[in-house]
Amino acid sequence: MSGILIVAEHTRGVLADSSADLIGAAMAVKAQLGGPVRVLVAGDVPRVFAEALNRPGVDEILLAQTDNAHFDAAVSEAAVMAAARAHEPALILIGHSASGVSFAAALAVQLGSGFAADVFGIAVAASGLRATRGGYGNKVNVELDFPGKSVVTLTVRGASFKAPEGHGDARITTLPLSLDGIKGRYRHMGFEEAPASDIDVSKAEFILSIGRGVQDEKNVPRFAALAEKLGATLGCSRPVADSGWLPKPHQVGLTGKVASSCKLYIALGISGAVQHQHGMKHVETIVAVNTDANAPIYNVATHGCAMDVFVFADALERCIG
Amino acid sequence: MEDTRALFWNLSPFAVTAFYLLGFAAMGASIWGIVGAIRKYQRGQPAPGFPGWTAGVGKLCADILTHRTLRRRDAFAGMAHAAIFFGFALLFVGTAIITLEYDILKPLFGITYWKGAFFRFFGLTLDLAGLSVLAGLLLMMWRRGVRQPEKLDYRRAYAGEAKARPAARKWKREDWIFLIALFVIIATGFAQEGLRHAMERPDWSVWEPAGHWLGALFSVLDKDTLHQARVMNWWFHGLAALTFLVALPWYKAKHILAALGSLAARDPLALRRLPKAREGAAAGVGKIADFSWKDLLDLDACAKCGRCHEACPARAAGYPLSPRDFILDLRLHNNVAKGRDLPGKRLIGDVIDPETLWSCRTCGACLEICPVGIEHPVKIVKMRRQLVESDQIDPLLRATLDTIGASGNSFGEPARKRAAWTRELEFTIKDARKESADLLWFVGDQASFDPRNQQVSRTVARLFRAAKVDFGLLYDGEKTAGNDVRRIGEEGLFESLVEHNLGEMARAKAFRRVVTTDPHTFNTLCNEYPEFGEITPVVHYTELLRDLLECGALVVKKPLGLTVTLHDPCHLGRLNRRYDAPRRVLEQIGCRLTEMPRNRDNSFCCGAGGGRIWIPDRPGSQKPAELRMREAAALGRIDVFVTCCPKDLTMFEDARKTAGLEKDFVVEDIADLVAKAVALDTFDLRDLPALTEKITAAIAERVALTVAKQIDDVLARRILPTAALPAASPAAAAPPAPAASAAPLPPPAGVWQAKPVAPARLPIYEIPPKNGVRIMVPVKQIGKLGDDFVFTDDQRAIPDEYFEHLLNEWDDTALEEALRTIEALEGGEVVVVTIGPDGAEDAMRKALAKGAHRGVRVWGEHLADADPIVIASVLAGIALQEKPDLIFTGAQSGDQANAATGAALASLLGLPRVGMAVKTRWEGGATLQVTRELEGGVQHNVEIDAPAVIAMQTGGNMPRYATMRMIKLAREKPIAVVEAANEDVCRAARINRLFVPQTTRAAMLEGGADEIAAKVVAIIREKMGEKT
Repeated sequence: MSGILIVAEHTRGVLADSSADLIGAAMAVKAQLGGPVRVLVAGDVPRVFAEALNRPGVDEILLAQTDNAHFDAAVSEAAVMAAARAHEPALILIGHSASGVSFAAALAVQLGSGFAADVFGIAVAASGLRATRGGYGNKVNVELDFPGKSVVTLTVRGASFKAPEGHGDARITTLPLSLDGIKGRYRHMGFEEAPASDIDVSKAEFILSIGRGVQDEKNVPRFAALAEKLGATLGCSRPVADSGWLPKPHQVGLTGKVASSCKLYIALGISGAVQHQHGMKHVETIVAVNTDANAPIYNVATHGCAMDVFVFADALERCIG
Repeated sequence: MEDTRALFWNLSPFAVTAFYLLGFAAMGASIWGIVGAIRKYQRGQPAPGFPGWTAGVGKLCADILTHRTLRRRDAFAGMAHAAIFFGFALLFVGTAIITLEYDILKPLFGITYWKGAFFRFFGLTLDLAGLSVLAGLLLMMWRRGVRQPEKLDYRRAYAGEAKARPAARKWKREDWIFLIALFVIIATGFAQEGLRHAMERPDWSVWEPAGHWLGALFSVLDKDTLHQARVMNWWFHGLAALTFLVALPWYKAKHILAALGSLAARDPLALRRLPKAREGAAAGVGKIADFSWKDLLDLDACAKCGRCHEACPARAAGYPLSPRDFILDLRLHNNVAKGRDLPGKRLIGDVIDPETLWSCRTCGACLEICPVGIEHPVKIVKMRRQLVESDQIDPLLRATLDTIGASGNSFGEPARKRAAWTRELEFTIKDARKESADLLWFVGDQASFDPRNQQVSRTVARLFRAAKVDFGLLYDGEKTAGNDVRRIGEEGLFESLVEHNLGEMARAKAFRRVVTTDPHTFNTLCNEYPEFGEITPVVHYTELLRDLLECGALVVKKPLGLTVTLHDPCHLGRLNRRYDAPRRVLEQIGCRLTEMPRNRDNSFCCGAGGGRIWIPDRPGSQKPAELRMREAAALGRIDVFVTCCPKDLTMFEDARKTAGLEKDFVVEDIADLVAKAVALDTFDLRDLPALTEKITAAIAERVALTVAKQIDDVLARRILPTAALPAASPAAAAPPAPAASAAPLPPPAGVWQAKPVAPARLPIYEIPPKNGVRIMVPVKQIGKLGDDFVFTDDQRAIPDEYFEHLLNEWDDTALEEALRTIEALEGGEVVVVTIGPDGAEDAMRKALAKGAHRGVRVWGEHLADADPIVIASVLAGIALQEKPDLIFTGAQSGDQANAATGAALASLLGLPRVGMAVKTRWEGGATLQVTRELEGGVQHNVEIDAPAVIAMQTGGNMPRYATMRMIKLAREKPIAVVEAANEDVCRAARINRLFVPQTTRAAMLEGGADEIAAKVVAIIREKMGEKT
């Protein structure tokens, strides 16, 4: 009994970024924990993902054949249980995603394992595995131990670990899987694309937000274009929404939305009133651009630059071409 | 024979009788109409603000005789109305005098007095009265026809209407008919007089100058024509007058009577003190009969004069509210409904748009200027109560009310931060709960939490300190006073805030007076709190500053010599008549005051009142505050726009910028000006510790130093290795080693175990038999952590006092989904389950208030720091007893965000599940349709067998609002308490320690623009990956 079991995730034929990140997470403790690193991928044609998962440090890729291309929490749970029973890992890593959270805790129940969710730090202490996660709106960090557990299930926060680059030499094997008793209780019906205009700052991971510093409604489209180019969701402060320069769903703050999934927040021309900070100060990385070097936004920002937002936008546009 | 004249000239007895009959019929019709109106008003509810007829009629007479309310802000209309009113009143009295003699005294007692000198004086008076009415009517016609003031245009331009509504066109006709009809009645009266004079040529003719003059004019006619004209005109005049009598209780003429009532029944504290919600009835006004009789009377009293329309800040800024049109729309409705329910027509929605109700800022400008005593904002608030009760509220407002309910302030800050603004002071302010003080300072939300206003609060505190005022605060014992909560219509929440604050004040040490900087707080403490309990006198800080300056406790060292203008806060000035204190302060500190055109009772609201500060402004709309800024800018050279209200400061600071007037003047609170004038910065305000404390501290320090040195010396002389010494100081900065109790368990020796967790075994509790479907919703009371907190000594927890407790938002969404499911199925029950001690029942009460049928609370001390798997096993233990047909859980909790309960619970129960669901549809059958949301907003539709566990993501629905009243009513709903035995729980994790993640002030990126941009791009790539 040893080693790490990674559960890969894919949606509509595309492997989730988080799957490679999990390999990075495994590498953080592989040496101390010992044993092989195995990646499990379940699906109707699991082999198509094998190549992308074959990264340095991975010892084995387990392919579990299912009869449905699409995610089913019960099937994922059964596949991981089968792999766990077969290989007895000390650590199971799952992405903290919509799909991951749908079965990770169920595994913890079935295995009676240690469990922690949304983990961004993994280490091995004298007492065994130790995971670090955020608590209370990420105001504190929590270190968790798993005394007496021979196996620990963790869901890992996206982009917390860097995936190893390059190509590995993992063995590719098939994991026998029986799905009797699961079939028929859950049926895939189809996907719907998110409406193009759909703005949800509470779910955006990357937000570029504008404040009164943009000065005029006619400057807004320029920042909207910049946000799109960067792949960011466009947010704003209350005055911008109140002036009708942007629809209300863009507003971040106490009276708007809390950027609860955000990892990177760029605040342009926002002074950082308490009401705005309420919606964003917890974000891991905040870049603030404001002419006033004493603006309260700099008390919560990670990086700051006291410059004009238009000069900054010019330079940023040049930089990304 | 003495001078007099004959009545009913040339009429046959039959004609006289016919006229009397007609007269009685007209009077009867009029009385019938009046009785009908009174009965209509009687269908209304009691009017608690009614001052009683004696006091009311006294005030009515004073206002009518002075015409005070009609002359204000429209002297022309006031003058014309006075000419008509007093002229008409004299004519009425004259007619009564004749009737008294002719119909009563003469036939019964043979007494006559309408003759001789009295007759001549009478004739002159009535002629002048008639002329006065005619002049007044002509002025009114000129005003309507030629001058056409904007306020008389019934077209709703503020609501974007280009054309007047049919009803408005009718009003216009009605106005003209009213004027013309009156004119015709008076003019035919004069004609009759002229014809009489032409025929009779009495020698006292000059005493009726109009008759005399017209008589001369008519003399050119031959005798027959005069005779015929006199007969015809008599009937025409008489019938016209009787027609007017009949019309009195209807149409525009009705204001003549209704206004007498509405003026007499005025609530002297209207709006300053809102009526309590009626016990045992609907909280607000949802149908016309929910209004008070005074409200219904008001509707008929309106004369459409437009003074309120002109004064309303919402209308001026383009919001869909004109107080006049609001009243007229209600009147049109009640003309048909007559105080009863009108099926198929909703009062809110069909008659009055909710948006209209939310537009009001309860500034009282309409109520103040209404010449007939209509109390518009009170009606608006009553209707808002209904909107709140039926959850028709803006989502952001709902969130704010939730926040106030949870933490006692509208800023979403933990209660313990309420006095955080005092930390930067050089001295400590007394805690009024521990020490007695002369003054208790009730700070209010805006002044406590808004950074700009915190500065003002500190200035005020320093001024008090410099003036040696003995004052204290309630610190975190204070909650928002609730003025605006009440005006939003959340009466239950207001009541609980009053209860809390009165309780805190009662428990505080003795104080003589309360002071506040916030006029809203001032208003409710002064006028509304006394209805709930005793409160000491309340003063506004401008009054206190005035007194301190006048008695020399504050001495002006540098008169400022600034030209300033002053904004009277609505709740201080107009509503509570405190106009002079701030003006006196400005005078004393050497400011020249230039008044804005709209000042004192006509002050123009900043737009923040009535809870509007919590409702987002409509995109593209102007703000009342911007209009006010332009008004100030138009004064020409002013240096400072002075405010004495925290909300004003916020609103006007913003508006000055958005209106582009940043260079014209600055906005400052009056306290800041006083601080400059008294050179506050030269005062030493530091706390001086008592002498004994100083001596003790000095000795202690000396001893500590000497002893430490001696110990060091002793240790140095020994040869003990330092490593063996106990650490000299606690290693505060270093991360602690794993606590000793966490004895390192050896890594499991070789055996890999998979031992499934089982549902907790819980005692059997009583469950009512199933009646339809049963949906179980686990709800969690989460802890929201403030910015200031400490860890417990073992670093494994944070003491409870640092948390605000709230119903988990995701669970609220799950509950809403469950309630909607039940409602769609038209049957079944929702059971909410929570795990926690007594205090955790608050969240469940809220869930029950929203509509859950019963609650189950499980607790055992060992669950205090339970991990999500243990929690799920307890919930599973409950589910095994409840046997629900469906379980909705929140996808995660707001505090720990494990997102584990749903999946774990499903696994424990062996049920199928969907996580991150945003949409569900279940018709009670074997399957249900669920949409789950994936990263990036892609939605995944699935079908799943019931029973199942659905974990709800937020955003899928909008959870309903539970008013404080509903929460109180929900106390009747049953909650089963289940004791969980401390069986051998299988913990999935154990906290080793908590620590604060490192944060620092932003690292400033240096370099040129391009360099900085490159660095930012690098940060983006690092965080978001190469694909960006």
